[in-house]
Amino acid sequence: MRPNTLRLALAASALLAATAVRAANWELDLDLRAVASDADTSVLDGGYSPMRFSERQSGLQLGRLRLALDTPLGEVWRLHLDASAWGNVYRSPIGLTEAYLQFRPYPRDRLRVRMRAGAFYAPISLENGAPGWGSPYTISFSALNSWLAEELRTVGVETKVDWLGTRTGLPFDVGAVAGVYGWNEVAGAALANGGFILDDRQTAVFDRTGKLEGPTGAHIEPFREIDGRAGYYAGMDLNFPGRLLITALRYDNLADPSTPDTVSHVFAWRTAFNSAGARWESGAGWTVIAQWLAGRTEIAPGGHALEWPFNARYALLSKRITRRQTLSVRYDRFEVDSRNAEADGEQRGHAWTAAYVFDAGRRWTVTVEWLRVTSNSYSWSEELNRPGPVTDNQAQLSIRYALGSATY
Amino acid sequence: MRLSARSSHGPLAASPAAIAAALFCVLLRVVPAGAASLVITAQLPDGRPLADAVVTVQPIGKKLPPPAPVHAVMDQMNRMFAPEVIVIPVGSTVAFPNSDSVSHQIYSFSPAKRFQLPLYRGKPYPPVLFDRAGVIILGCNIHDWMIGYVDVTDAPFYGTTNAQGTWSAELPAGRYEITVWHPRMREPNPGLVRDLSVDATDRATLTLELTKPLRPAPMEGQSPSSDSY
Repeated sequence: MRPNTLRLALAASALLAATAVRAANWELDLDLRAVASDADTSVLDGGYSPMRFSERQSGLQLGRLRLALDTPLGEVWRLHLDASAWGNVYRSPIGLTEAYLQFRPYPRDRLRVRMRAGAFYAPISLENGAPGWGSPYTISFSALNSWLAEELRTVGVETKVDWLGTRTGLPFDVGAVAGVYGWNEVAGAALANGGFILDDRQTAVFDRTGKLEGPTGAHIEPFREIDGRAGYYAGMDLNFPGRLLITALRYDNLADPSTPDTVSHVFAWRTAFNSAGARWESGAGWTVIAQWLAGRTEIAPGGHALEWPFNARYALLSKRITRRQTLSVRYDRFEVDSRNAEADGEQRGHAWTAAYVFDAGRRWTVTVEWLRVTSNSYSWSEELNRPGPVTDNQAQLSIRYALGSATY
Repeated sequence: MRLSARSSHGPLAASPAAIAAALFCVLLRVVPAGAASLVITAQLPDGRPLADAVVTVQPIGKKLPPPAPVHAVMDQMNRMFAPEVIVIPVGSTVAFPNSDSVSHQIYSFSPAKRFQLPLYRGKPYPPVLFDRAGVIILGCNIHDWMIGYVDVTDAPFYGTTNAQGTWSAELPAGRYEITVWHPRMREPNPGLVRDLSVDATDRATLTLELTKPLRPAPMEGQSPSSDSY
């Protein structure tokens, strides 16, 4: 199935859901920002800065406009559609970040099975638990999860099986998850062409990222099927509800890096990584999250392999001060190496993020965030003649208004 | 639960007639000549009261008639079972209204009672009969963090502790095995167990203290990664 056909199918199911399903829960969010930044043009806009807004974009900005629909279909099926606009136009001003059908049979004999088909995030992030894959802690995601938002989406099927210890008197559940997918064979290109960034923009399924690819200068399109081979991920988790969650996952898109698309001549990017994470909650308002991800991405034009190993990790500490107020601090480190003669695409960086969230009732959320990224990259030194690390600062005030029925 | 499960004679029934019936049974059975009163206090390790703990009292060496069944209610409010735990005699029924604006589905695969209530709002289903002793653990198939407990007991005296951590009963003199259990206590099943002799006209008091704090209550949004499935 071609991406256009898939897009049409997704749009048709959205229309069907909007008109035919009375039990739907829907949500409309508007997130407006006041931004102060000293950064150069973002890599997302064809520049080099690893954050979303540049100095020239200081002032009022659209953070996000989101429309989501979540509805049961009969007893054990559920449809979820999540569309967003970010104030930039690649293919279309608004796009679906997730769209899937879920099968939720009743748990039996301690086993709970959940199956999904469509387009959705692989279960890697421990940070993006808010509606629409947002973060309840900060505005900008960690470098690790910003990359997932930019390039990764499962367009395929996933099965999760949980062994429910908590339903038998034990304090924990154990889960296993596996996914099979296609159409994600250019994922990895954005790391080699601009490196990790810290932002909250999510690439819509089958849309482009803002990053430009290599000498061609074309926008990267992460969602392409080139070699006809499916990729997979498989993971495990151990969950002490309300206290501790430990996850591990192996991801490999199994793309053939020597296969170019016959029309566009874009190569398939073989991207594989391991990830692990833990989230601990004290029960008295403290939360600690740590995530780690390491792998490599590769293309082999003419059989000549070009390889970029990468890794990213972060630790986040959050404290709920009162029922409505949360303070969070996060430290990120990220690296892209290059096994190529010119070291093209190398990046080393770290970042500090501090955020204060005020939950002003059912509809209003106010967030203040300060982000400081220090990054040393090939692109900086080579193309801007600025050797050594560069530090960018960005402050954001976000006011979010949410309208709609209760989320599912 | 909209009724009190803290009476010494088990949950007050949902209807006045049932309350009267329950009190009648109690008068017949539990207050013979030489009745004693028993006061149980449950505490957390830091000395604070342990509320909503299940107390069951079984006689040792003699048999008392089983307690009368009741009609109890376990509500669903703010995407949680309310209360989290109830204790009822064998043969009782429990109604599971949904006071939330969103739909819930209830399931149990506990051996003492397997059942499902398909997707609903309000109170479309008749109460569920619990005819075997044991702890039944309830879940919601929509909101995976929701968890509730129905303790079905054959003990002649039972109830849950109040906000001060106490529960009291009038019972005949004799030896009893007293069990205090909470679904989130870390002590192994069946919980804290003590033997106690109660003399006629005595007022026996017993304080039980947990050695470890309770596990946290699962709450909405605390496990976002699993909620997204």
